[in-house]
Amino acid sequence: MKTYASLFVTLSLLTGLSACKEPTIDEGILPFVTPTSTDSTGGTWRTVLLTSAADIAVPQPAATTSDAYQSELTAVKNGLLSATPEQNTAVNYWAAGSVQRWNQIARLLVSKYNVDAAYDEATGQYAPYDATKPVASAPYAARLYALLSVAQYDALVVSWRAKFRYNRPSLERQGILARVPILDVPSYPSEDAAVAEASCQVLAYFFPGETAWLKAKAAEHKQSRVWAGACVPSDLKAGEELAAAVAAKAIAYARNDRFDRARDPNSTWESLRSRAPYDLTWKSLDIPARPPMLPLAGTTRTWFDSTAIARALPAAPPATTTPAFQQALAEVRDLANTRTRDQWRIAEFWSDGSGTYTTPGHWNRIAEDLVRQYGQNELRSARTYALVNRAMQDGATVGWRTSFTYFVPRPSQVDPAIKTAVRIPNMPGYPSTHALLANAATTVLVYLFPNEAEVLKAQAAEATLSQLYGGVQYRFDIDAGARSGTAVGQLAVGWASADGAR
Amino acid sequence: MRRIVPIAISLLTLFVDPFARAQGLVDGFMRGQRKASLALTYSQESFDSYYVGTREIRDPNLGTVSTQSLNLYATYGLGYDLDLIVNAPYVRTEASAGYWPKQEGFQDLTAALRWEAYDYKFGKTRLSWLFALGYSLPLQNYVIDAPVTIGHGSRNLDGRTMLHFKAGAFFLTGQYGYIRRGAVSLDRVANYYQPDNLNPNSGSKVNVPDVTDIVVRSGFSTKYFYVDGWWQQQSPYSKGTDIAPGIPYPTNAVGFTRAGASLYVPLIRKFGLTGAYSTTLDGQNVGKSTRLSGGFIIGL
Repeated sequence: MKTYASLFVTLSLLTGLSACKEPTIDEGILPFVTPTSTDSTGGTWRTVLLTSAADIAVPQPAATTSDAYQSELTAVKNGLLSATPEQNTAVNYWAAGSVQRWNQIARLLVSKYNVDAAYDEATGQYAPYDATKPVASAPYAARLYALLSVAQYDALVVSWRAKFRYNRPSLERQGILARVPILDVPSYPSEDAAVAEASCQVLAYFFPGETAWLKAKAAEHKQSRVWAGACVPSDLKAGEELAAAVAAKAIAYARNDRFDRARDPNSTWESLRSRAPYDLTWKSLDIPARPPMLPLAGTTRTWFDSTAIARALPAAPPATTTPAFQQALAEVRDLANTRTRDQWRIAEFWSDGSGTYTTPGHWNRIAEDLVRQYGQNELRSARTYALVNRAMQDGATVGWRTSFTYFVPRPSQVDPAIKTAVRIPNMPGYPSTHALLANAATTVLVYLFPNEAEVLKAQAAEATLSQLYGGVQYRFDIDAGARSGTAVGQLAVGWASADGAR
Repeated sequence: MRRIVPIAISLLTLFVDPFARAQGLVDGFMRGQRKASLALTYSQESFDSYYVGTREIRDPNLGTVSTQSLNLYATYGLGYDLDLIVNAPYVRTEASAGYWPKQEGFQDLTAALRWEAYDYKFGKTRLSWLFALGYSLPLQNYVIDAPVTIGHGSRNLDGRTMLHFKAGAFFLTGQYGYIRRGAVSLDRVANYYQPDNLNPNSGSKVNVPDVTDIVVRSGFSTKYFYVDGWWQQQSPYSKGTDIAPGIPYPTNAVGFTRAGASLYVPLIRKFGLTGAYSTTLDGQNVGKSTRLSGGFIIGL
């Protein structure tokens, strides 16, 4: 009896030892979404970088009766019969949505590059800035997401115009059974090729070190659509060419939006600080002190009307000597001393600091769920992202401009006994950029997804409060951020209500 | 009295993981049917440098991280060859610099069964082969994803086997264990860059890498004292990550090599005092900690 029992235990222990290796971080598998509308008038929608879709000429495609087209079509048909497992993996991956996938790739790269300069114990210094490895902190990321989605959106408007102008019928209408759901729009030019090319070029501008990796991704993306039976190579080529022209516009915009000075290598922010109209100015709480995050990001060119943006700037914060400030400080102190586990969770959930896809990335993720839930087609999802991300970049610009005007110290600087549930962002606190971005993003999202207003407002309210719970913002920071964010969001809503999309 | 002596061995060594103030659940000495012992120990542990991956660094924003823990440890002989072991630590940890708040609370409850499967006698020496199976779970929803935490919050299944050799007062024990750690839910979406995981859209649930554990322990156990020295190597079994800077991120691959010594002196009848010291020789994503502890043991 005992022998059997011991044998059993021994065997079960051995089974445990040979346990299968688990993935470190699980990724879920989501079902394909079938878009609810084709938006056939999409080619007339208002573009952002281009004056209109007509700026970029898309050449007339070869007729479907031509030998050239027919041989392409036959090749696609034959390809469908001989797909390899690798091809199927690529087909399924990209079928989730090209705008969505490239937005995910952008978030992935942001989290990869959102790494603070390392502290070197031997020299007591932080590592010097390396231009090939830009630090993708929140304003950097906000600009990246904005430019990426604007380039995708403009490229798609141009594609849509050409699609419905030339009306090359989709492959499905020519009797080809595609491997994945395909939006029933004319196949020329390929919207996937347009998104792949525009995204690849814009992201490579931000992360030159990733160019080869991005190019491989884009090539796989384009080819996957032929493997899927969604388009023929000449559709891809046209999409790629129009997108290259749009990407060039986007990169030209990026070169001239004054963001290149944001990092402020000569530390001119110190003179701004000495002139700050505030009684006690911010200093870095990192040990050793570190220059603040992108001090001149507030001078970046805005997407929306700069006069209206200027009106969204928060008013002066209460001076540290005022009862209003002392009361706000006492509130942070009390919260820090009695912080509940749930308040900690909320602070952490919305913190999106170093090493993550940043706060704008978090709202892109939330937008992605909505885009998917509402079955938006490529064009419409690009519009959603382009609106939300422009609002967020302008929101970040407003926030940074205000922060580096007043240089309001973080609560822990005024009272070092205040312990925080999140890392203290290395920049002045007023206003709360978390509150600002949350309200800018949700104002736009509520306009685009009115049925989700309740959920979105609850998310915005929680995100707004989160950094007060974390102990890194005062109540007046988050109130000012929420007001400015809503004002900036309204500018994007104004744009959206007149861009031709219903 | 002899029966309660060996508990000191396990009490004073760090066993499961860097967070486990929980003690060595398993040594080679059986309790004996219907015999029980209860131990209460206090330990002080600290580190001022830690390993990011396998590179040792210091973080001036953390300074020295120190941890105090109070451990309640009980064993009961269910049969002559089967023991039940239960452990629950109360832990407090804080950093000397920076602004991370101290964390405090009950950590994980562990229960284990130890079974002496085979017992061979060769003249005056004895060799026994034992198995143990343990399970631990967090006693509360403590913070797991910050530079200063009391644990990583996973539920663990711990299986191990050991050979215990005894010749007079001298003993030598070798054990090998595998600890399977369950997934944990973070307070946020896991979106740190991972080359293996190209979809940043995963949720909040992340896997805590499993580890293997080797312990070699040797010493003397007499009527008047017990003393041992031990060496332990814990290695990540699953690949895991090296997410920096200095955040004990749950997916990080944790490993270490530690060595230590412990002492037990019986005072009156079934009551004795115990003390121990251990230090970290090498590690991976873990604090280079040194630990000192002391307490008392009562046999019932």
